[in-house]
Amino acid sequence: MRIGTLKETYIADAALFDSRTQKVWLALAAGVLLLFPFMATDYWLYLACLVSINVASACGLNILTGYTGLVSLGQAAFMGLGAYTVAILELRVGSPLVLNLLAGGFVAMLGGLVVGIPSLRVKGLYLAIATIAASFIAHFLFANSAFTGGTGGLTLPPAKFLGLVLDTSFRLYWVIVPVTVLMLLGAANLFRTRVGRAFIAIRDRDISAEVLGIALLRYKLLSFGLSSFYAGVAGGLWAYFFRVVTPESFPLSMSIFFLAAIIVGGMGSMLGAILGAVFMTMVPELLKLGVALLPHGAELTVFLSPVRTMVFGLLIIGFLVFEPHGLAEVWRRVRRFFHLWPFRN
Amino acid sequence: MDWAYLFEISLTGIASGGLYALAALAFVMVYKATKVVNIAIGEMLMIGAYLFFTCAVTFALPLWLALPASLLAAGALGALIERTMIRPLLGEPPISVFMVMVGLSSVLVGLVELIWTADQRRLPELVPNTPIMVGEAFLAPKVFYGALTASVLIAVVLLVFRFWRGGVALRATASDPAAAYSMGINVPRVFSLAWVASAMIAAVSGIIVGSIGGISSSMGVFGLSVLVVVIVGGLDSVLGALVGGLMIGLIEALAGAYLGGEYKLLVTFIVLVMVLMIRPYGLFGTHEIERL
Amino acid sequence: MKSSPVSQGRRALLLAAGATLVTPLVQAQAAEDIVIGGSIPMTGVFAFAGVGINAGIADYVKIVNDGGGIKGRKLRYVPEDTGYKVDVSVAAFKKITSQNKVNLYYGDSTAFSKTINPELDRTGNILMAGASFATELNDPVKYPNQFLVGPDYTEMFGILLRHIAKEKPGAKVAFVYSDSEFGRDPIDSSEALAKKLGLTVPVKIMTPAGSVDVSGEVIKLRRAAPDYTIFHGYILAPIPEFITQGKQQGMTTKWMGTFWTMDSSTVMKMGEAGDGFMGVMPYRYYYDTAAKSPMLEKIRQLHPDYQSTAYIQGFLTAMLFTEAAKRTLNANKELNGKNLKAALDSIKDFDTGGLIGVPITIKGNSIPVGRVYKADMKAQKMVAASDWIAL
Repeated sequence: MRIGTLKETYIADAALFDSRTQKVWLALAAGVLLLFPFMATDYWLYLACLVSINVASACGLNILTGYTGLVSLGQAAFMGLGAYTVAILELRVGSPLVLNLLAGGFVAMLGGLVVGIPSLRVKGLYLAIATIAASFIAHFLFANSAFTGGTGGLTLPPAKFLGLVLDTSFRLYWVIVPVTVLMLLGAANLFRTRVGRAFIAIRDRDISAEVLGIALLRYKLLSFGLSSFYAGVAGGLWAYFFRVVTPESFPLSMSIFFLAAIIVGGMGSMLGAILGAVFMTMVPELLKLGVALLPHGAELTVFLSPVRTMVFGLLIIGFLVFEPHGLAEVWRRVRRFFHLWPFRN
Repeated sequence: MDWAYLFEISLTGIASGGLYALAALAFVMVYKATKVVNIAIGEMLMIGAYLFFTCAVTFALPLWLALPASLLAAGALGALIERTMIRPLLGEPPISVFMVMVGLSSVLVGLVELIWTADQRRLPELVPNTPIMVGEAFLAPKVFYGALTASVLIAVVLLVFRFWRGGVALRATASDPAAAYSMGINVPRVFSLAWVASAMIAAVSGIIVGSIGGISSSMGVFGLSVLVVVIVGGLDSVLGALVGGLMIGLIEALAGAYLGGEYKLLVTFIVLVMVLMIRPYGLFGTHEIERL
Repeated sequence: MKSSPVSQGRRALLLAAGATLVTPLVQAQAAEDIVIGGSIPMTGVFAFAGVGINAGIADYVKIVNDGGGIKGRKLRYVPEDTGYKVDVSVAAFKKITSQNKVNLYYGDSTAFSKTINPELDRTGNILMAGASFATELNDPVKYPNQFLVGPDYTEMFGILLRHIAKEKPGAKVAFVYSDSEFGRDPIDSSEALAKKLGLTVPVKIMTPAGSVDVSGEVIKLRRAAPDYTIFHGYILAPIPEFITQGKQQGMTTKWMGTFWTMDSSTVMKMGEAGDGFMGVMPYRYYYDTAAKSPMLEKIRQLHPDYQSTAYIQGFLTAMLFTEAAKRTLNANKELNGKNLKAALDSIKDFDTGGLIGVPITIKGNSIPVGRVYKADMKAQKMVAASDWIAL
């Protein structure tokens, strides 16, 4: 509970970042993000870019599943749509980077709208299963049309931005991270508006929302569209980062990964999406480090891959059973502890 | 129009649909009793097959011992899953339980890779090797016996649900747990029973599927086709599992024969989407009415 | 199977991990060592191959170092497990190349080789080989820093088709392949080659990935009544099921496979169905004593138990890496991608010590030579069914 945050105008009340402490933390975070690439090795830069892409996509999924309550297992398919669009434009048309990313997002958005159409007829788990079907149909299209390079996929030349060739993780960092930050700010702003509140109303009780005058189909489609736009842009960044796009790059397990990320992070909060994506991407690395530090570490590395799979599943189950509100809730509890600590008796 | 070919393909499609029906039965059993969408059904199938592999090959038990031993082990696993993952989440939104099942499938795959490695293996021969002939049409013996087992088991389960007290208790618990409690039905025990039975049926299905295509840590993808079957048949209908399984088996075989192998999954999922749009509760499922 | 593959893997990993743990302490000598980095699939679906490849490379490195290294410089092998996942593979590459000066690298899959290629071209320091035999990689213009340790998949089919054309001219050859990039790779070009050799391809059957029941496909195959059936894109499943059902339905076709199916232990797993199974293998098998092969003898001395063809592939890769490095250093050239590749291309009529039955020459990015082997279930061995065929 923050004290001394008196607001005198509506605009001030609705501001995203209102207190000085928040602004200080943000400035620190911005500083870290700016200085990081100069101090990190190539390997850590690579990880940072990957984490950033995952954060962007998880944020999109959070809009759909965390805030609107529509469970989707098609996030990877939408990323694939964005990635293929960017790849095709870069290879065959040669349009500039920003245009490609926007086009990728747009094509993915169209895909999302199509997949969202059944959302009025089917709800909950049935919708989740429909999104699984959509992801298989997308995979089939990617693998079987010559336009998308078939099962071999497409290989991209490096992106060119403001005259520079983006071929190292260092250079890509300066495109990927700002785009991600923009997307996060956009999503945070979304939930200050009427549209965002409508999403939350749909999640809580959609029949009641309809009674209150929220046009269900329109807002559900909007939610699908927005979240797949995010996925499309993230997919486009992915394409520029890995430079090879194949139908196998976006399997169902990637959609499950993102869903797990927002569950572990905490559904329905921006911080949750960020924490979840960072955590789930870094878990394999932490596992590797942990196993290397154990006394019989060298022997145990044989078991690293299956252990990683098991840990992934156990994390999902563990968080759902013990901490359904995810890492964001853990963070809030820690913060509350520090806020109240001076006043404990 | 090559009728002989069509007949042969349809026959084999229906028989392999029997395999789907068996796995779908395991799924429906769990849904009927605890309203849980067990997306990890493919992985439970896989564990059953691996348990049988361990009993029959690693411990070299004779078949008449290995089979019941692996079924019991699978049942124990089912009870364990129910106790540790399903019971704590009673009353939570169904999507949480769904995600727990997704997590479970990862845990099971990891477990299998840890203990048995990700290599493909083969199960010992279970059925005689002579092909079954229906007129001029060939039918692979494994598929035939698999379908036979599936039909027998489904018939048994249908009768159990209809006439045995335990089966009626299961149906009662599914429709209203509170009323079942007040009628003196031991609801937690019914839940465990349902999961144990489901795990055992999944194990049988896994053994049959494994004896046909070998076992590996990626066997779980079979579960996706089973998902389509239960949606088409109805999530809580045993008869729907049978009819849906036969239908999907037939459609897949026809798609594979006349369109090409890559279209099999695509056609299956298009059928899924169509069913979801036209009859979301499946052919025989109960219509869920949402109340405020 | 006995538990030896696991303990062998453990031993190999212990060796490799021990080596990586010790290297920071040996920083002073690190600049002199020639580093072979590896993204190796030691766990996951390709683990049986990964463990073998790892052991093969490690053993050859040890043999070279025991003999004094290359012009006094020791080889150092730095592997990382990838579980056959591309993103883990790329991460491993970045880690190894940022911590060591790497000149030679082993990649675990076609996808990885394609993904990392722009990076290889950009830095120009590394010569790469790998577990992939993809036709696309056999292109010296698009992949100037990579090579294949054997024939590519199209060349493998070519060897099989030439053998068939010699044995039975005008025969009918069916292709059965998996719905993946691995499976689809050589199919179209091989169909064209078959036509050129006077053979017909009555049917091409694609099985969906992870499919269990193949009875429909077997019926299709039976109706095409081929003389030969070539499987590609699989390791084991669903080949035994195809053969069993095919035999039950009275098919008399001869069954054949390509590299990753043709490891002796894999074929032996087929049981009764695998008797007479044929296929193309560019290397000699571990137990082959038919001709003089000093390297096979050495391998048999090092390991009294069976070593897979994946082991031989790793071993041979390390051998070719060493030869390329040796020739580059002998010409007093710097160790970078271009020079190493040029040195590799200069390899003509090279004696592999008996691992491949004939002296080899690098053509393009591959070594297009191989032999057709047949499975003898009674003897539990693969026996040669043709001469060495060089394309």
